Amino acid sequence: MFSQIFKATLETLYMLLLSGFLATLFGIPLGVGLYLCSRSRRLKTLYALLDLLVNIFRSIPFIILVLLLIPVTKNVMGTIIGPNAAIFNLTIAAIPFMARLSENSFNAVPSGIIDSSNSMGLNKWQMVTRVLIPETLPDQIGNITVLLINLVTYTAIAGAVGAGGLGQLAINYGYYRFQWDVVLYAVIVLVAISQLLQFTGGKLAKGLRK
Amino acid sequence: MILSVDRLNLSFEDKSGRRKILDDVSFSIEEGEIVGIVGLSGAGKTSLLRTLNLLQPVDSGSIMFDGQNIVGLNESKVRSIRKKIGVVFQSYNLFRYRTVYQNIAFPLRIQGISRGEIRERVMSIVSELGLEHRLSAYPSQLSGGEQQRAAIARALVMDPKLILLDEPTSALDPRTTGRLLDLVVNLNERRRVTFAVVTHDMDVIKRTCDRVAYLQNGKLHFFGPTHEFFVKIENNEVSDFGSPLELERSVLSGQKRLLRVLFWGERTHEPVLWEIAREFDIMINILYGKIEELKNGPFGTMIIAIDGHKQDQFIEKLRDSVFFLEEVR
Ligand SMILES: Nc1ncnc2c1ncn2[C@@H]1O[C@H](COP(=O)(O)OP(=O)(O)O)[C@@H](O)[C@H]1O
Ligand SMILES: [Mg+2]
Repeated sequence: MFSQIFKATLETLYMLLLSGFLATLFGIPLGVGLYLCSRSRRLKTLYALLDLLVNIFRSIPFIILVLLLIPVTKNVMGTIIGPNAAIFNLTIAAIPFMARLSENSFNAVPSGIIDSSNSMGLNKWQMVTRVLIPETLPDQIGNITVLLINLVTYTAIAGAVGAGGLGQLAINYGYYRFQWDVVLYAVIVLVAISQLLQFTGGKLAKGLRK
Repeated sequence: MILSVDRLNLSFEDKSGRRKILDDVSFSIEEGEIVGIVGLSGAGKTSLLRTLNLLQPVDSGSIMFDGQNIVGLNESKVRSIRKKIGVVFQSYNLFRYRTVYQNIAFPLRIQGISRGEIRERVMSIVSELGLEHRLSAYPSQLSGGEQQRAAIARALVMDPKLILLDEPTSALDPRTTGRLLDLVVNLNERRRVTFAVVTHDMDVIKRTCDRVAYLQNGKLHFFGPTHEFFVKIENNEVSDFGSPLELERSVLSGQKRLLRVLFWGERTHEPVLWEIAREFDIMINILYGKIEELKNGPFGTMIIAIDGHKQDQFIEKLRDSVFFLEEVR
């Protein structure tokens, strides 16, 4: 039984970290895009569109999103079950979430810092890479922490529809066979992962704040 | 002329409609001078400063900088203009997660200058500004005066043609203020840095400014040499900056003719009054006197009572020898 829990834990971690990584990789640039569009008179309509899209994706419950995505997942990943299919779903759900969180952090950069950067003649690219990202780094670490903790829950939900990992383990043993000890262990591991993420993220962000 | 502003207009939209913030403002800044932009809070000083490097687009008017009109230039041209104008904001706006060294080096790093040259330029500036021992500190660990100097260093490191300072002394204690003003005058004299200083601090105007632009509700009410601004204050034409001396009635009642005399420049320290009084055999009673050390010379104000036979000749001759003379009574 413990080897199964161990295997499921590894699957969960794999889904969590890879989807978290991909969501950050695409979500932050989308957040930058949202931020820049919202501040440009010319791109106001593009912003309205992106904003709506992000809101729509964020308001669809994850389990429904997985159902809606079935044809796409099948096309892109070649399968709709297993960790890799789940990673696709998790990433799609997490990108808009991460984009919104990072957009909020960019908006919170004091306007004076933006002014003084502009007064030095920075171009857009330098503005993003040398000012917006560095000035929000501790906040972005916090955002990634929140994202990952949310993804822990999502992986468990994904487990119910065949993704594998601790969620599926709990469903299989608890829901179908009433082996509550397995459910308990799965829950303990999930809580431990969340705690560890919170602790590490908090420490990292604190270390970066001056 | 490094910068000249012609008929600048700016308005903001808010709940109560359009509000005029700058109303046909025209003035200029010569190379190597320090111009004070003064006025009460809300007069539009910061807005004017922000228009000068195009952080704030204007409704109409032109801004000539370095020989070209910079209003309406495209973005890449605007960026290259901005690199020639250093700005020190009222809130300093240092990068929060960069050390003092990294903050000062930042404008050079984004231009792709080599690390060696950056180090050299940063070090020469920080030693001039007395920041050597704070290089690895973060802004949140600095005092107000240190943050101010770090922000000035960050503006200076680009070797700008013009530096804009917004209320540089408003958050500093008197001693730090004194050091800062010395620094500004020093940079102006030794490096020929041109400054535009927004302020409502009389000390800043006296000690640093060659010329003063006085804003009232977005209108430029005065633009000229600092001592003329002081004349305006003495003549009660500028009420925002303290009022001239009101002599007590009891002191005045016994006196004959009263004159108010303003001296400026070299003559302030010469015994002009005494010489002319002796020539016409006039008795002088000094009721009030003070001398302000302005940047471009001493400026004296005096109220005297006179008595004697040739009073009119005395007044006529004195009028030619002093900066300003008026009969109070
Ligand atoms: N972005 C803005 N939008 C609307 N009103 C503004 C804005 N910036 C400044 N103002 C208004 O313009 C006026 C002048 O402000 P400011 O230039 O900051 O004055 P000062 O620096 O002389 O105190 C104030 O009444 C202020 O409320
Ligand atoms: Mg202001």
